[in-house]
Amino acid sequence: MKIFENKIFLGFLIPNAILLSIIGINRFLNVGSAGVIVFSEFVILPMLIGIMSAWFWKDFKLSSKMLIWNSILNGFIAILLSFLFLGEGTICLIIVSPLIFAFVITGAFIGKVMFKKNNQTLNTSFISLLMLIFIADSLADHRYENMVSDEVIIKATPEKIWKNVVAFDKIKQPNTYWLFNIGMPSPMQTTVTAYKKGAGRKCIFSNGYVFDEQIVTFDKNKNLTFDIVNQPKDPEIMGHIDINRGQFLLQDNGNGTTTLIGNSWYKLHVFPTWYYDLWAESITRNVHLRVMDHIKVLSEK
Amino acid sequence: MFGFIVKYLNFLKRIPLFALIYDSCLKLLLFLTEPMKLTWFDEIENEVLNWEHTSISLHKFGGTQFNYRKTEIGHLHSNGILDILFTKKTKQRLLDEQKATSHHVFEKSGWISFYVRNEKDVENAIALLKLCYDLKLKAYSQNDIILARV
Repeated sequence: MKIFENKIFLGFLIPNAILLSIIGINRFLNVGSAGVIVFSEFVILPMLIGIMSAWFWKDFKLSSKMLIWNSILNGFIAILLSFLFLGEGTICLIIVSPLIFAFVITGAFIGKVMFKKNNQTLNTSFISLLMLIFIADSLADHRYENMVSDEVIIKATPEKIWKNVVAFDKIKQPNTYWLFNIGMPSPMQTTVTAYKKGAGRKCIFSNGYVFDEQIVTFDKNKNLTFDIVNQPKDPEIMGHIDINRGQFLLQDNGNGTTTLIGNSWYKLHVFPTWYYDLWAESITRNVHLRVMDHIKVLSEK
Repeated sequence: MFGFIVKYLNFLKRIPLFALIYDSCLKLLLFLTEPMKLTWFDEIENEVLNWEHTSISLHKFGGTQFNYRKTEIGHLHSNGILDILFTKKTKQRLLDEQKATSHHVFEKSGWISFYVRNEKDVENAIALLKLCYDLKLKAYSQNDIILARV
């Protein structure tokens, strides 16, 4: 077929097929721990896509504009394939896309210079080094845990706030956080089986997903701590983040107001953390604030 | 933004590939906001590559580096800053003639900076690179003569 002789087309097809195979094999062999997405899957592999594409396009003397345009297309193809074959969620892919585009473009320009020089030893060494980093990173142990804390001042006593902290009816205020507005589920309601330690608690999200929780500290009017015992199997979060524990602390300010502190502990399974933790913190913070602002409204009535 | 990063976040350049990735982000930004500049940068690159014994490589702090044999002529960052190393005497002459400014970081060195902001600047950028290229060519030829005498 003539299309398979077209090197521009092959520059899109082959690198993406290789990338998909590498990720597929990596997941099949379950290298590292289950579900962990290592930093090199978002850094080294997109860069390799760019370099491989540049090899297919080296005879065309593409302008910088064309090279960037083709790299953006390549990034979109990689994202689409991740959606179709790797079961990644839409929000996840929106979060990852800046990394993909930046690294595919970087790879394309590295490749352009590499193949212009045509130093085969240097080129092979560089690509081997990238593959070596990928393998080493895949085999390395990846652990990252973090805690996010937020607070709001409520014009009410801890006694009045407490019952709204343990459980609350549906949140009716419109969302203000942009990720919630484009489809990321936001917290809607919390129910509880009893007002005591060991009771079950459910945090229900806007799309119907439920986080099952168990109260581990029930210090009335002061401290509500709960462990997340079951989280929904959603592609946006499955294998990427584990929410382990949540906590509400109430501090009486002695002037008729109370400081409500919300803490969450989570474990991240996507790397590099310098990038993904920015998102995890931002999302957790906005979950906190949506719930705590609702508690404030209910308590100040 | 570029100035802020160079001045306050200079340590980031030690992270492998950081400068290249940052430069790619600048390219992407240009692609979205001022795509003509990418065409001008290509014109500069193509012109330099027409000169004998020239090549390009990736500059260690991001951008395209122009080389004569194994020495650097200059480098063009993707925000349009062209940096070239001259002798201090030549630099002073270029500053006096207002053909360049002092380097955006190393002000006291022989490095000059030239900002490619419009189409007219392309010619001036090429002229500055040609000046440096000719000086290197001359130095190389003189070196060759000396070696031949030895």
